[in-house]
Parts: sequence; structure tokens; C-alpha cells
Amino acid sequence: MKVKVGIMSFAHLHADSYAHCLLENPSAEFVGIADHDPERARAKAQQYGVQAFESYESLLASDVQAVIICSENARHAQLAQMAAATGKHILCEKPLMTMLEDGKAMLAAAQGAGVHLFTAFPCRFSPAFQEMKETVASGAIGEVLALRGTNRGVNPGGWFNDPALAGGGAMMDHTVHVADLMRLLTGQEIVEVYAETGNNMYHAGYEDTAMLTLTLQSGVFATLDSSWSRPKRTFPTWGDVTLAVIGTRGIVEMDMFAQYLVHYDERGGRIRQVFWGDNIDYLMIDEFLRVVAGGERQVLATGEDGYKAAAVAIAGYESVRRGEPVAVVY
Amino acid sequence: MGRQHTQAYRQMPDVEVAVVYDRRPERAQAFAQEFGVPIANDFQELLNRCDIVDVCVPTHRHAEYALPAIEAGKAVVSEKPLARTLDECERIVEAVHRHKAIFMPAHVLRFFPEYRTAHFLVKDGAVGTVAAVRMRRGGDYPRAESDWYADFNKSGGVILDLIIHDFDWLLWTLGEAERVYAKALTFRNLDHLDYALVTIRFKNGAIAYVEGVWCDPSGFKVNYEICGDAGMLEYDSTKQVALRTAVRAEGGAGGGVQVPSNPAVNDPYYLELRHFVDCVKAGTTPEITVEDGYKAVRLALAAIESAQTGKVVRL
Repeated sequence: MKVKVGIMSFAHLHADSYAHCLLENPSAEFVGIADHDPERARAKAQQYGVQAFESYESLLASDVQAVIICSENARHAQLAQMAAATGKHILCEKPLMTMLEDGKAMLAAAQGAGVHLFTAFPCRFSPAFQEMKETVASGAIGEVLALRGTNRGVNPGGWFNDPALAGGGAMMDHTVHVADLMRLLTGQEIVEVYAETGNNMYHAGYEDTAMLTLTLQSGVFATLDSSWSRPKRTFPTWGDVTLAVIGTRGIVEMDMFAQYLVHYDERGGRIRQVFWGDNIDYLMIDEFLRVVAGGERQVLATGEDGYKAAAVAIAGYESVRRGEPVAVVY
Repeated sequence: MGRQHTQAYRQMPDVEVAVVYDRRPERAQAFAQEFGVPIANDFQELLNRCDIVDVCVPTHRHAEYALPAIEAGKAVVSEKPLARTLDECERIVEAVHRHKAIFMPAHVLRFFPEYRTAHFLVKDGAVGTVAAVRMRRGGDYPRAESDWYADFNKSGGVILDLIIHDFDWLLWTLGEAERVYAKALTFRNLDHLDYALVTIRFKNGAIAYVEGVWCDPSGFKVNYEICGDAGMLEYDSTKQVALRTAVRAEGGAGGGVQVPSNPAVNDPYYLELRHFVDCVKAGTTPEITVEDGYKAVRLALAAIESAQTGKVVRL
């Protein structure tokens, strides 16, 4: 039996990757697409050879068992609650929410309806991260003392630059992946955040540069650079996910997307990194399908994981407002 | 560092290393033998026998030697950091001005071509307005005969001793710092292990991030990236290497160590001291001023205070 899945909104660029993953996965039946923008729903449905639904309601009225939400960040809550109310399992793009109340409402809706709510944190599935986690757990580098992470990228533009829809700028967009990895790696919550943000890249009303300093429960400290600091036209790839763990006996450093070859593209007039590592989106969607079909969750991030990671970014904005380190409110 | 500086001076036909002093006579003796330099029995004797004083003692003794040298009318080059405390730094600044001394804090990083080139590229607008700078420096814990690095009161730990290099480069390149926030292992009393993560906000809106490492068993490495609204510069000492040599260990497989190097006609210590000697001969102010030395220490001590108190420190 294939799992029937629909995608709610293609506002987020990751929707295209998930669509490919569904089409490639023998356990999935990609049923169709609904979108705020019916024109986009039609175009994407045609591109992927699936049904275009005229509204979210009509998609949810169909026999899909699960949905993937890829709307603008601020619309996640509304769509997740609609999906939960119709008994659909949910995989929601990150960040789960831009406001704590939204996240709480989403978790409550899923729990009340008895459906799964997962957060799209594919970095958890990276074989490099999994091996790093095992190395740290084995005690090979001793006691964990500090962490250093980055999730730098290119400014995606569009609604990502509208704080009303995105919930902020680079800090809202790029804090949660690595915050999630830090939680997963240490088994600890992030309790305090200090953030410095700037806008010297694009000189607009959202932050394009963000440097967070985090403190974990045990006093382990960490930094996380979530800036859109990669040059838009000339950088050879979209960005990075890196994490280093400093221990009493050694260090382990991960550069998640360093599995690339270099393409000097004469026709395109630029140099590109061509990634040849595993497709972590595929691994994530595959587990999502298995869990919807009744299997056990193993790596997939829960709604609560998404909530806790987003709460760190939200605390970052509070820190910027107050100009000092602040406790993370969950 | 005394050895490094001596080797640089010996390449200069117009400079003679005239005399050496070390408060530990056995160290002075070893040095004198290695380089064929006469020994002064006390510091006053050293002052009587030279024109330039090069201070390479541990940080907490910089002021103790720099001040009398300045007061004796000597030109003085002093290892970084300028001094261990801000009070000592202020006294050195004041003495330099009072005696119109030619003085240079040895922030040698400014003479490392990979850092010097980046500075001038940024100044020339190669990356536009700077938004974010990341810098990393370090390797394993430094070992000295007296183990003075391990004494925070003497060295100031990884922030004051090591990443002050990057702080000076940042201040040189980006201008005034506004505030700093830092986390460090310095006060955890870990055995020969220190690590610091420092975020600095500059008045021009740029955010800099400096990682100081005295806990990486894989060896010394540095890197930086400078991101602006018109481009980005990056450098990584593990990648930009002109020469790698690997020699098989005696008796068969394994154990060989690869040694990376970037050979150059002039090493940065030579370039730094050549600049200083030229300034002494011309009677001009070195490009690294005593105030620069003061500002770097002030920023480093602010970072240490932040790491100690958990608070943002405004400059």
C-alpha cells in the first residue's frame, strides 16, 4: 500500500525537493497540490503530473493520508490546524512557527486529532551527522565542552524578506536546523541566547547577518552563525551546515555538504560545487512515509523538536530587542 | 619569540644584535651560545649597550621592561599583547608620548601577507560594506619551559594571548568596536585546555566572530572569511598550502607526519621588524601605534570580562 500524500503550498523552495522525493519513492503516491496561489498550484501540478486542488479544503477532503506543508512560515499554524482537523498526518517545513502561541496551537491540534506532526529537519539524516553523534556518544572526544555551528546561506529573497510572512530574516530562516542538531547531539535544551544581528549585506528592514551565542542546560556553550552571508551571484553553492564539538580529549568537526566536486562552468560563467553526497531530504521523506504507514519514528524530528528549535530563534529576537542574553521561553 | 626576532635581525646588514638579557642566567647563557651574542648582567647594562630594545618576555612582564626602556630613550618593540592589564597599557602609552619614543607593539599578523592583502582589499572596497567577519586561530595548547601560558594571571589565556592577533586586525580593518560578548573555557580550570568564542559588534554595523583554540590536537590552523554587500574573501591555512612534505617513518608503514608550509622570501617577523627598524632610522611612527596596542588589549580584556560575567561589555 502506497502512502497518499499532498503538498500544501509551494511557497517554500524545499517543496520542489520534497515533490521529487515523493515521485521517486516507491512507497509514496503523490496525489496533488493546493496553494494560496491557485496559479502556482496548477503550474506545479502540471510539472509533477499530479492533481491541482482549487483549495486547501478540497485537498484535505480527498483521501490523502498525509500532507507536507511548505507555505510561508507565518502560515504554517493555520494550515497545520486545518490538516489536523481533517485527520491528516503532517510534515511541516521549518521553522515550525514564528510565534510561540502558533507552535502551541499546532502541537495541541495534532495531539487532539491523534495525528503525527513532524518538522522537516533533514540534517538529522545526514550520515556525517549520524557518525558524529556516535563518535560523541562513544566518549572518544571526552566530555563535551562547547559547540560551534553555522548555517550560512544566500538571501532567498521574495517573502523571506517580509518579516510579516517569514517571522524575521536570516535568524528566523537559519537558526533552527543547527539548533536542532545541537539538541539532538547533546540531549540538552538550549536555555539562554545572545544574538547580534545586522543588515550590512542588503541594508533593508530584516536582518541578513546573525550570530547567536547559546548556553545549554549543563553550561556547554555554543555559537551559531545563521547569516545570509554567501554572495548571491558568485558563491559556488547555496550555503553550508557545519558543526564542531569541542571535547576534553579532542574535537570532531562536520561540514555536512563538503561532499562535492568543483565544476568550472564556462557556459554559466561561474564556479559551482556539485554535491554528490546522500539526499537527506529523501531519507527524511522516506521515514515520514514509513511512520505514516504505521512504522516507528527513529530520526524524524517531532513537532516538539521543531517547536523547541524555533523557540531559540524567537529568543534571539528578544535578545536583540533587549541587548543582552535572555532565557529561552518554551 | 626572542629566537624568531633574532633570526630576523641577523638578516639585516644594518642591525647588530648587540646584547641579550634574561632574568634567568641559564637562559641568557643558552641564547648567547646559540647566537654568539654577549650577555648583559642586568637590564640596566642592556639599556647601556643598545639603541633598540626588543621585549620578548612573558606578557605579565612587558611593562616591567618596556617602561624603563622607553624612559631610557630607547626605541622599543614589544611583543603583543601590549601588557597584561589596562593600567600597565596606559602607563606605556603615557610614557611613549612623554618621551616621544618610537614604539611598536608587535602585532605581527599585519605583516602576514594573507592578512595584509585581505586588509587592503577590504579597504579598497573589494567586498563593499562589511557585514560579517569570521576568524579562527589556534591549535593545541602552547607549551613553554616555565608553562607561563597556563597561568591566566600571566598570559590572559587564549583570548589575550592568541586571538588578540585577530582583534588587532579587526580594529585595523573595521575601526572602532562597540560591544563584545564572549564565552570561554578559560575559567573552568581544565588541564591545558582553553577555547573561546567571541562576538564583536563594530560601530559601522559589522559583526565579527573570533574563535580562539587551545584544544585542537590536529595542530595549528587559522582561517577567516570577510563577507560584504559586494563580495566575500576567504582564507583557510589548511587549504592554501604551497608545499606539503611527507616522510615515511623509520622501519615501515604508518607514523609519517605531513608538514605543510608556505615558503616565502621574507617571513612576517622579518617584515615586521624591518618596518620597525626603518621607522627608527627615519624617526617616524610605526604603522602599529602604541594606541593600537592599547585598543587591542582593551577589546581582549572586555571579551574576558564578558566571558567571566556572562554580560555584554560595551566599549
